Amino acid sequence: AVVPPTQQTTAPQRRQRGGTLDPFPNYKTPNPFSFWFAAMAAPDADETPASPGYALRATLAGHRRAVSAVKFSPDGRLLASASADKLLRVWSSADLSLVAELEGHEEGVSDLSFSPDGRLLASASDDRTVRIWDLGAGGGARLVKTLAGHTNYAFCVAFSPHGNVLASGSFDETVRVWEVRSGRSLRVLPAHSEPVTAVDFDRDGAMIVSGSYDGLCRIWDAATGHCVKTLIDDESPPVSYSKFSPNGKFVLASTLDSTLRLWNFSAGKFLKTYTGHVNTKYCIPAAFSITNGKYIVSGSEDKCVYMWDLQSRKIVQKLEGHSDTVIAVSCHPKENMIASGALDNDKTVKVWVQKDGDQ
Amino acid sequence: MFCVCVDPLQGDFPETIEEFLQHGNMKCIAFNRRGTLLAAGCANGSCVIWDFETRGLAREFRDKDCTAPITSVSWSKYGHRLLASATDKSLTLWNVVTGEKIARITLQQTPLHARLHPGSSIPSVCLACPLSSAPILVDLNTGSTIVLPVSASDSGNVPLPNSRKFSDGSPPFTPTAATFDKNGELIYVGNSKGEILIVDSKGIQVLGLIPIPGGTVVKDIVFSRDGQYLLTNSNDRVIRVYENILPINGSGKEIEKIITSNNNDYESKYEKLKANGARCLVLSCEVSDAIAKVQWKAPCFSGDAEWIVGASASKGEHRLHIWDRAGRLIKILEGPKEALIDLAWHPFDPTIASVSVAGLTYIWAKEHVENWSAFAPDFIELEENEEYVEREDEFDINAYAERVEELMIDQDAEIDVETCEKNSSFSDFEDSADEIIYLPAIPSPDAPDEQPDKCLVSSSKLEDSNHSGSPPSSMDAVQNGLAIPPASSPLEVD
Repeated sequence: AVVPPTQQTTAPQRRQRGGTLDPFPNYKTPNPFSFWFAAMAAPDADETPASPGYALRATLAGHRRAVSAVKFSPDGRLLASASADKLLRVWSSADLSLVAELEGHEEGVSDLSFSPDGRLLASASDDRTVRIWDLGAGGGARLVKTLAGHTNYAFCVAFSPHGNVLASGSFDETVRVWEVRSGRSLRVLPAHSEPVTAVDFDRDGAMIVSGSYDGLCRIWDAATGHCVKTLIDDESPPVSYSKFSPNGKFVLASTLDSTLRLWNFSAGKFLKTYTGHVNTKYCIPAAFSITNGKYIVSGSEDKCVYMWDLQSRKIVQKLEGHSDTVIAVSCHPKENMIASGALDNDKTVKVWVQKDGDQ
Repeated sequence: MFCVCVDPLQGDFPETIEEFLQHGNMKCIAFNRRGTLLAAGCANGSCVIWDFETRGLAREFRDKDCTAPITSVSWSKYGHRLLASATDKSLTLWNVVTGEKIARITLQQTPLHARLHPGSSIPSVCLACPLSSAPILVDLNTGSTIVLPVSASDSGNVPLPNSRKFSDGSPPFTPTAATFDKNGELIYVGNSKGEILIVDSKGIQVLGLIPIPGGTVVKDIVFSRDGQYLLTNSNDRVIRVYENILPINGSGKEIEKIITSNNNDYESKYEKLKANGARCLVLSCEVSDAIAKVQWKAPCFSGDAEWIVGASASKGEHRLHIWDRAGRLIKILEGPKEALIDLAWHPFDPTIASVSVAGLTYIWAKEHVENWSAFAPDFIELEENEEYVEREDEFDINAYAERVEELMIDQDAEIDVETCEKNSSFSDFEDSADEIIYLPAIPSPDAPDEQPDKCLVSSSKLEDSNHSGSPPSSMDAVQNGLAIPPASSPLEVD
């Protein structure tokens, strides 16, 4: 008898009997039981990695509609959340108190991004604008710039690690690169033929990756706006999220067939696949957790946060607690802390920490 | 710049004007060592810093005392300081981060070129070349100056006995160019007799001498970025390239060794200096315009020293000649009908910035050819039409089903998502964690018809420390970094 994965909360320690030996279970057609077969197919596999033991630390309520994005600031002091209620909330990550509530967007906010020095916050909204907020010291936060130019919903936004430009992707199928200082649109990249669902810079700020519902991930040279590479698989399910790995050599892409893939983009081939969660409707970001062991963290439409061991691709923990699709996750840059946000039924941001204490 | 899957463009040269920068009336430019910022000195005495990535204005430094046109700008090694020399005989030292003026020194003559000592991150010494007299080392803290020797028999600070002197006792009329070597241990002086003198920057002694063929006045003397090559621009309309055979690090010690090892009998001090010099610089090639015998202006090397660029100094011309290091003319770039006054090659990219007499800075770059294969990986671009020969089974009905699955990927292989390699183009750099590569972007506030501000405005923001009553520029001068509250104690986990 095979126990359905959704009822397990920790990685399986025992292998199950029976079933077929499919040598490449996760390859093309992920199904909920595939990872069980993977465990059976490798009888002398390494022991499954231990669960990192994250537990709920706090629930931050206050948004009046679905949460759409959560992000930690690069220095880890702040946690920001965006919501369909047109507001952004900034929390202190130390004591989880509300630091600022930013009002100004005319429609719901889909994504947000901190500047590398943590002073500015950019947000992308259905009102077709990207807004830049100055967080100031001591809670004196205010709107400083409104970047208009997209002709449809602005869906995703990312600051360059240089701090002088930011990139935004939109339902108008373009990626725009803006200068932060003046707010002018430096470039309009004819990125895709479907809404752009994710943009990210690599750690040197030299490249931008964009993912879209058209099933492609494209890599662009940030300085010139020229396309460098297109990542495409044989079947091209819509790409719901893409980002660079911390060293900028790999791209993590999630697609709406409940799969996460880690691509070596210079070779144009993907190296790892992560499945077991549910992701067929929403654009759910994934994150690298590298503060204590290497994990991939992602939200899921089955109300849990999933964590996979990066090398072995096994699910090591599922964080339960939300009452709706977990639409956003973010990992603290230095501490073993994860923040997650969920949709309408839930409307909260939950913060999870590792039970065993900091490293 | 660090792109893994793009062909490195280093070693190439620009082909066309991409855009131009306009702010006030710029006179001289200098890239920082990473090429991310371009400093420009203006005719109204202010210095501006351009963010070269966005081609937007990053900072403007103004001071009510500095109103004379700037003749040159120079960065300190890691970008913390900017030195500007002006026609009112002054040198002004700016703190790049805060935008404050640190020092202002008045010299006896207008310095045409001023260069900060390249060896330290907060230099205390700079080299200034006045229009027509010996170059001087200026102590930026005290303002005291040391005159450098301009001939073999000169020992500096002592006027030559039988040369022309000005009635006020200022140094004699000897047009000279001078430059630090890469680490600032030695100064290379090109004098009016067509000699390169190697001067020790501490002891101010002439250690070596290299006579330039032609023996005419040296107008410019410039090192390449890595310090391996030196070029001289002489009045005989020839640019000469020398190879520096001293080591980059420890050039001072090496030249001392050469001097002591060269202790044979020589007829004169001059011969001895020549022998020392011969072991420091070797003539590599000469370039000139054989047809029009053009005088050159603002010659310099490309970032990797593969190319040499010189601008035509003929009246009203904005023309750049590019040679390779073997001396072959590779390209001539024609600009707009405005005379060129300054030139700088980007440290890494095949990009040149040139300043015209109209005060604009033109940016020359390579033309980009769209790489269509990047958009569609299966797409192969062909240079010319090819006859297509189909496979034997191309049109077979069952061929499709038999298409072999892609190679099996070993999903268990370990991959490293964290470690980053150092980029090789910076391998000759010592990294400084403190280096200013990008200036923090301060968004300029939108026009007031935007959404009203939500919360209170922090009072110490956007402190405009450098405005002098001139019309406000859209860019505010640097504000003092807002003190972010110190990080709270690490969270307690029970």
